[in-house]
Amino acid sequence: MLKTRIIPTLLFKGFGLVKGKGFDSWRRVGTALQSIRVYNLREVDELIFLDIAATPEKKTPDFRQIDELADNCFMPMTVGGGVTTIDDIRDLLAVGADKVAINTSALEIPELVRDGAREFGSQCIVVSIDVRKAANGKREVTSHCGKCATGRDPVEWAREVEALGAGEILLTSVERDGTMIGYDVDLLRDVSAAVNVPVIASGGCGNYGHMAEVLSSTRVSALAAASIFHFTAQTPREAKCYLAERGFQVRL
Amino acid sequence: MTPGLTVVVDYGLCNLDSMVRALEECGATEVECSRDPQVVRRAARVVLPGVGSFAVAMRNLKETGLLDAIREVSATGVVPFLGACLGMQLMATVGTEGVAYGTIEGLGLVEGEVIRLAPQSNDERIPHIGWNDVQARPGSTLFNDIPGAGDFYFVHSYHLRLANMSDETGRSSYCGGFTAAIQLQGRPIFGVQFHPEKSQKNGFRLLKNFLSV
Amino acid sequence: MIRYCTRCLYPETKPDIWFDKRGVCSACVGFEKRKAVNWTARRQEFLEVTSRYRSQNGSNYDCIVPVSGGKDSTYQVIKLLQNGLNPICVTAGTDSLSDIGRRNLHNIAKLGVDHIEVTMNPVVRRRMNRIALTEIGDISWPEHVCIFTVPVRIAVQLKVPLLIWGENSQNEYGGPAAFQDNNVLNRSWLEEFGGLLGLRVSDLVGLEGISRRDLIQYQYPTDQELQSVGVTGIFLGYYFPWDGYQNALIAQGYGFETWGTMIEGSLANYENLDNYQTGIHDYFKYLKFGFGRATDIANNHIRRGRISREDAAVLVKRRDGKYPSTYIGRPIADILREIDMTIDEFNAICDRHTNKQLFKTDNRGKPIRDRDGNLIPVFELN
Repeated sequence: MLKTRIIPTLLFKGFGLVKGKGFDSWRRVGTALQSIRVYNLREVDELIFLDIAATPEKKTPDFRQIDELADNCFMPMTVGGGVTTIDDIRDLLAVGADKVAINTSALEIPELVRDGAREFGSQCIVVSIDVRKAANGKREVTSHCGKCATGRDPVEWAREVEALGAGEILLTSVERDGTMIGYDVDLLRDVSAAVNVPVIASGGCGNYGHMAEVLSSTRVSALAAASIFHFTAQTPREAKCYLAERGFQVRL
Repeated sequence: MTPGLTVVVDYGLCNLDSMVRALEECGATEVECSRDPQVVRRAARVVLPGVGSFAVAMRNLKETGLLDAIREVSATGVVPFLGACLGMQLMATVGTEGVAYGTIEGLGLVEGEVIRLAPQSNDERIPHIGWNDVQARPGSTLFNDIPGAGDFYFVHSYHLRLANMSDETGRSSYCGGFTAAIQLQGRPIFGVQFHPEKSQKNGFRLLKNFLSV
Repeated sequence: MIRYCTRCLYPETKPDIWFDKRGVCSACVGFEKRKAVNWTARRQEFLEVTSRYRSQNGSNYDCIVPVSGGKDSTYQVIKLLQNGLNPICVTAGTDSLSDIGRRNLHNIAKLGVDHIEVTMNPVVRRRMNRIALTEIGDISWPEHVCIFTVPVRIAVQLKVPLLIWGENSQNEYGGPAAFQDNNVLNRSWLEEFGGLLGLRVSDLVGLEGISRRDLIQYQYPTDQELQSVGVTGIFLGYYFPWDGYQNALIAQGYGFETWGTMIEGSLANYENLDNYQTGIHDYFKYLKFGFGRATDIANNHIRRGRISREDAAVLVKRRDGKYPSTYIGRPIADILREIDMTIDEFNAICDRHTNKQLFKTDNRGKPIRDRDGNLIPVFELN
């Protein structure tokens, strides 16, 4: 049986890793290398590494750093942040990323998703979708690391990127990110029901119960989390034990 | 560990570092990445990794002359060969990915065609991404010493449908079942659909088994 | 290319730091706030807190004081005795105890207190040091775990609920605003700021033959045990204006020994004297973030007006982040031999953990060293 994946997320800004709340109040939390090596020791299912300064600062991915980080772990790794061209995708895959995440560029240059999927295969292309509630109460997709509203509906956008060829969707709730109050279950349920590609839940996980809640009420394929693994005694392995005890399929 | 040069074929399609490091971690003493057909011909064993499109891969293998070298080396029947992920798919006679219609020729090391996975229910999503178990055929060389139905890391949308099921050495039940690993009878030619270099303990055990052939 | 605090010398690369509109860092802002503190009132609070938790009939200790024998713990014991308390002093053994460190440690008891020294299995400890250095670039990680777990375990065992630590590092060294006024330690604080770097004790099980039974002293008591004794902790630095330099001055009046010259990589001769491995620990801070112990000390002096930022910057450039060829005079080869590591292995680990954005590298991405083994920063202290 295909197992649900628990995926620690590392957010990188400038010189090192950061954690935020609601995509704001970024706090520096140390070097990426340390975290990668700890997760490597723990043999986690997968890792997500996002450079959140790249797009706002109009920088390309730091290939040398990704190369070094990939050299320090044996886990499958999805890398994103600042990807705007086919060459960016190619170069990230070349230095060790297994999958490449595209966010703002997917919105601005949808052909990038389509061409990337054609050239490298859908399974290499993850489209990252950040969602928040707009002023009128409706959900909307944001870009530029949560800074710009697009007015687009997440379910429709998810269907569009699937049609373009995205192999996986990373779905993040902007408001809940870093708060540890729980995932946005409604959003996850609606999007995972609307597409046939795997969906990774992200934003708000505070305890193992939140994970179980998402798995029982939605059809996501993987759960991403950052704060709980960085700031508390909770570990990916314990999360999986908890889920296994409740009958969910995880890799132990 | 059987000594000798392990060549990881570089045909411009993916990162090779993780495969190289994994092989070294598993005890291979001489590992080299190469796009030179002559180096492949000299190898004590060959690994063909791969991520991407069947069509682009075959084009690259042809243009570099690696296609012929690989066919020659595996025809000897004594040089162990391991195709991983796309590398396993390329071993087939034909593939369908990346072509508008029709098929393209593969390496032809094993009879079969590469076709898209067909989900059997709403819960089965494509691409097949994540950790899934593999049922090994009893006595399988590759899966020797790997407990039960071990989990391996898959990330693919296509699979190799064999003409002869006797070539199968590992099976996954996803999407109605597909061949997860192959071993040609009587010859040291292997293929795995999953990423052994990313499959941690189980993957490394498998690579060690391959290196001991 | 790196932004620095306009008042002290902390760079933006430092974990948990932030800058306000004036470009002043959170550590300096925290220090500014101290001017508004009513220390008389705080002292009253201290007496109230301690009287609530101390032994009511003298049959047990009033509190637990974790001590290393350093300037701060010596000062803490002096202060507690002055305030009429009867502490039990607890030492979680350091990794590589120096001679001067041992003398200073034994000086604590001479102040007039009972003292428990817990020594960890050195065979296992050395493996842990090596693993921590290799994986997360922090040789002192095991020590930092014990500094918190050992006194808490003893608190439960002796049924002494009040732990009195010295400084809440967030008050002096800055940190997220929400926690700067925190004066009580709890488990989640430790996980966040205790320097654990995401590594957990459970991660070590299975590595290099380490098993659960080797890690007893590294575990906290259960929540139930903590509840039953009512273990709590306070920072002396919240109740009394904290200054490491002043602490050293006072401690010396009671027999605390200092080193003859400034310690390597630092601007002080009065701290971090007990553990030969500290030089390596501080060096890795420099590799990762571009500043070392000399910067920390300089900043303490700058904030208290003992030296100008300009003069401090010159000193820091001279001494910060130098390759730790010796520490308290002991050569690095000897220090590394204790943890079964060669200098070449050590240098490879240094390179791995070096932030390549901060230092010159060759075209293969390997950090370049000068003839003394020092890295060449691409940033400039400004």
